[in-house]
Amino acid sequence: MTAPGAGPPQMRGLVPDAPPRAGGGDVLVHRAVPYGWPRELALTAVPYLEAGWSAGDAVVVIASEPVRVMLRERLGARVREAIEFIDAADWFGGPMRALAGYHDRMRADWWPRGRLRLLAEPVWDGLTPLETLEWQRHESLLNVVFAGTPTMIMCAYDAVALPPPVLTAMARTHPELAGPDGPRPSPEYTDPAEFYAECNAGALPPPPPTAAHRPFGAGGLPSLRGFLTAEAARLGLPEARTLPFVLAVNEVATLIIRAGGGRGSAALWAGEGELVCEVADPGRMLADRFLGYSPPPPGPSPSGQAGQAGQGGQGTDGAMWAVRRLCHIVQIRSGADGTRIRMHVRLDHG
Amino acid sequence: MAVGHPAAVGGMRFGDHFFLAYDNGAERYAVLAAYLRAGLRAGHALVHLADGESAEAVRDRLRALFAADAPDLLAAVNDGRVAVPEAAGRPAAEVIASAAGPDRSAGVRVSVEASPSSRGWPGSAGFAAFEDAVGRAVAAAGDAMALCQFDRQWFGAGRLDALEACHGGRAGADAVFDDGVLRIDPLFAPPGLRLSGSIDESTLPGLLAALRGLDDRAAHVCLDLAGVEFCDLAGLRALVGVNEWSIVPDRLVVLRSAPRCVEMMMRASGWEGAPGIVHEGVR
Repeated sequence: MTAPGAGPPQMRGLVPDAPPRAGGGDVLVHRAVPYGWPRELALTAVPYLEAGWSAGDAVVVIASEPVRVMLRERLGARVREAIEFIDAADWFGGPMRALAGYHDRMRADWWPRGRLRLLAEPVWDGLTPLETLEWQRHESLLNVVFAGTPTMIMCAYDAVALPPPVLTAMARTHPELAGPDGPRPSPEYTDPAEFYAECNAGALPPPPPTAAHRPFGAGGLPSLRGFLTAEAARLGLPEARTLPFVLAVNEVATLIIRAGGGRGSAALWAGEGELVCEVADPGRMLADRFLGYSPPPPGPSPSGQAGQAGQGGQGTDGAMWAVRRLCHIVQIRSGADGTRIRMHVRLDHG
Repeated sequence: MAVGHPAAVGGMRFGDHFFLAYDNGAERYAVLAAYLRAGLRAGHALVHLADGESAEAVRDRLRALFAADAPDLLAAVNDGRVAVPEAAGRPAAEVIASAAGPDRSAGVRVSVEASPSSRGWPGSAGFAAFEDAVGRAVAAAGDAMALCQFDRQWFGAGRLDALEACHGGRAGADAVFDDGVLRIDPLFAPPGLRLSGSIDESTLPGLLAALRGLDDRAAHVCLDLAGVEFCDLAGLRALVGVNEWSIVPDRLVVLRSAPRCVEMMMRASGWEGAPGIVHEGVR
């Protein structure tokens, strides 16, 4: 593979389609490109990728095989070889998995080479309503968690095949829309905090009557872990996936003991293709403003005081980041009657 | 290295004739100091044996061992509460009995300094015969125990096993923490801690205390995690943040045999690349 970053740094900002710079700092550019047919996508995506190569950006394509093949056919050999192509099916296994993957690769591989220029084709097939909602939240969150970073993301949406609600959310979660005629602001773009609050607005249905329950408090976590392990096995969670599940639930219970109301309860049940555990803290509200969506600093803070930084503080945020990484989806609902954190892990695959 | 955990020296009982093969002075000091202090607390008669040398020379060595960190034991050597008899050429049982004196109502603790220089080369008949004599004396007394200390560096492969066979068991340093959920044992070569069990919100204070208690002058620290069954985020933070308490710049922290739960939490937290942390993957 040709070494990426071929373009000299001084070309940045001069090439067509270059990212805008605010006060010389890094600015996130996040655009959706709704397209009617593959050629229309190519008209937008190919110049975008070529401009990235010219500017010396790290250029990455995460897409389905047909889109990757189509782009490879239209890109020049040198540009093609400099681009990292990733299979969307591998990358978009879950919204948090994808977000953590971005964080890991951006820090380790992409940002060190300069600006990241990404073409992503999110997967909307075969999702549950909850997964669809969380993927839409993911699109909105990108505007927050990568704000001020040297990142350009263009998200490809098949405007013919995708259902209208997905396209509506696309317009609300991308500040700009791209097309062959260039980018334009998205009139429907919604502030991410507002969008996030909307995602949290729906009440969680109560656990089913079949759910197994276990209260916990200080000193009682070994017993809670034993309960979780036994129930997970009974409900069909493969042994290899039991450890991350138990780590996640234990972490939430620890937060409640240390920084929450001091005691709580766990409810566990199997849903459609998933194992669900809801941990309830009747005694405390939890401020959830993008909680657990930004990774903690690379080096740990001293004294092992995780979870003691107060609600929504650094310790809670770092713990919830780990909890989200260990699960498929995590839902948080908090109000005057306390906090419920519902963790979903897949029974079937990754 | 011998397999299995040694018995904690703090758990020794009358009739025990235990064996300590130490890696360095720090390990011997930790075990011997705990052994003698337990005896002082219980009012036992304390007898330190080292044949083939003048008692004063042996006393001087004990004084040097305790001078820095154990004023209580230094005082006990100086005022004779730790008896150091002239042992050369006399039967072990007789030396122990006379050194313990007439007032041994609470029992006798014997410490045996088994250095090759005092009794010929290990493996010689005299060496084993002495051990056998100590063993017989302890068994016959009924109110005595003995801790025999061997410098591991002097012994070839197999010799330590043969010597251990002359004893009723192996002794090791007491755990620095053990609440039934998490056990923390000291390591001496390299210096560090061996953790077994679960690290969670209830055991974290014990872990933090043990980490703070590490010698903060050591150039590197080994945390053996092979026995860790569970580790939460705060526990992991304590492990990888252990350098916060060190005065040594750039101290190396070796995480030995990190189990899957630690590796998984390391990935989930993003602390895999924490500075100063080396992962020694044994399994």
